[in-house]
Amino acid sequence: MLKRLNESPRLDIFIAIIIAVVSATTAFAAWRASMVSSAAGDAIRQGLIDAVKKQTASSEDWRRTYEEAGHAQTYAVTLAQVEALENSSDKTAQAQAKNMRQYLLPSLQLVVDLTTDDKYLKSDGTYDLDQRFADLEAASPDLTELDPEASFKLSDQYSSEQRWLTVGVVLLAISLFWLALSQLSTKRSRLATLAIGAGIYLIGLVWFGLVELIFLIVRGGAL
Amino acid sequence: MTETPAPETSERYKTLIVVLTMITTIITAIVATLQADANIRANTANRDSQYYAILASGELHRSGLQSSYDLNTFARLLLEQQTSLMMQFTALEMEQSNDKLGTALSNISALAAQARADKLASFSVFYTDPRYAPKTSDELPNGDAYLADMSKKANEIVSKQNTAADSYHKWSSKADSYVGVLTIMAIAFFLFGLAQALTGRMRLVFAIFGAVILLVSSSWAMLILVV
Repeated sequence: MLKRLNESPRLDIFIAIIIAVVSATTAFAAWRASMVSSAAGDAIRQGLIDAVKKQTASSEDWRRTYEEAGHAQTYAVTLAQVEALENSSDKTAQAQAKNMRQYLLPSLQLVVDLTTDDKYLKSDGTYDLDQRFADLEAASPDLTELDPEASFKLSDQYSSEQRWLTVGVVLLAISLFWLALSQLSTKRSRLATLAIGAGIYLIGLVWFGLVELIFLIVRGGAL
Repeated sequence: MTETPAPETSERYKTLIVVLTMITTIITAIVATLQADANIRANTANRDSQYYAILASGELHRSGLQSSYDLNTFARLLLEQQTSLMMQFTALEMEQSNDKLGTALSNISALAAQARADKLASFSVFYTDPRYAPKTSDELPNGDAYLADMSKKANEIVSKQNTAADSYHKWSSKADSYVGVLTIMAIAFFLFGLAQALTGRMRLVFAIFGAVILLVSSSWAMLILVV
């Protein structure tokens, strides 16, 4: 009976249909692996763009912080000089201090927020530069809240999925080889090679489905 | 006594070639998977090295601004201290030459410079931070410790960047080498296909060539994997 089945022209057609199905599945799996690879590349690109934008914003905020710090320091130092002259017994010194307090200090104070907002003033008379930097960062949330690490995490997930999908594609390709062998064979081993090919195909299919499902859940439903 | 019939000339070594082709297929599949994996690792390392380069440039910019501010403050402080001292000397000289106006003006200048210097000291990290502040009035601030601390974070990031860049080169090189292996395996496939089409001794010759190439490419793949 097995011999009759081996030589049956219907088996030829059956194997040909299976080969066509496996070929289509392999092509689909390769396309999906390529899509996932592309998505990983896109996430990396997005992450690097976000990193550059965030770093540029941060650098500009630090530049502004230290620029203001320099002006604020000039104000604080001039104020200390004025206070010393005011406390002096010398009339000329007092007169100098009076004019400096009236005309010079207000002008120096106008230049920067550090000197006008009390929340930046520390108990020792210096300024809280970290607080000023944090406020400058908070003023541009569209840039400072960019999260390149999140894009990189996503790219890692896609890359990991691509790795496992490649294994699935290889399994499908191996099953295709066995099925082709079965089609060419005329001996008794034909059914055995057909079974091996079909078995590997099913394993590859389940593997592929599982990998897709797991990573779909990990990404919260995002393809 | 029955004799085993010799296989037909067209069928001889056919099974051997099928088995060799099958082995080549499986090895090629494994190498293709390794190549894909190496490529993914190279991409990830490349991404990390670029990211760390961005972070390092940002940190260098920030530390440059900070050191510029700190050193400028320190230089101004030294200038004011020197000015105050010189004005006090001048006031003494004026006093000795009975120049009262000159003495008073010099004293005012000395007082103003000293007030500015005292205030600048409270702004200077070299006098407020115990890591750098001089232990005694004769000592200078610890500039070496300051410079080491300033470059510490940037150095750490650059070190990570170098590691990632090295990793990228390693995996990129491996991925390229696997492509070489796959190319040679394609030649093995070609030879086995040719062997399948030929008959007799030529079939065996091509099968042996294919097998040798398969062995060489497999060894190369193993070498890439291990090194």
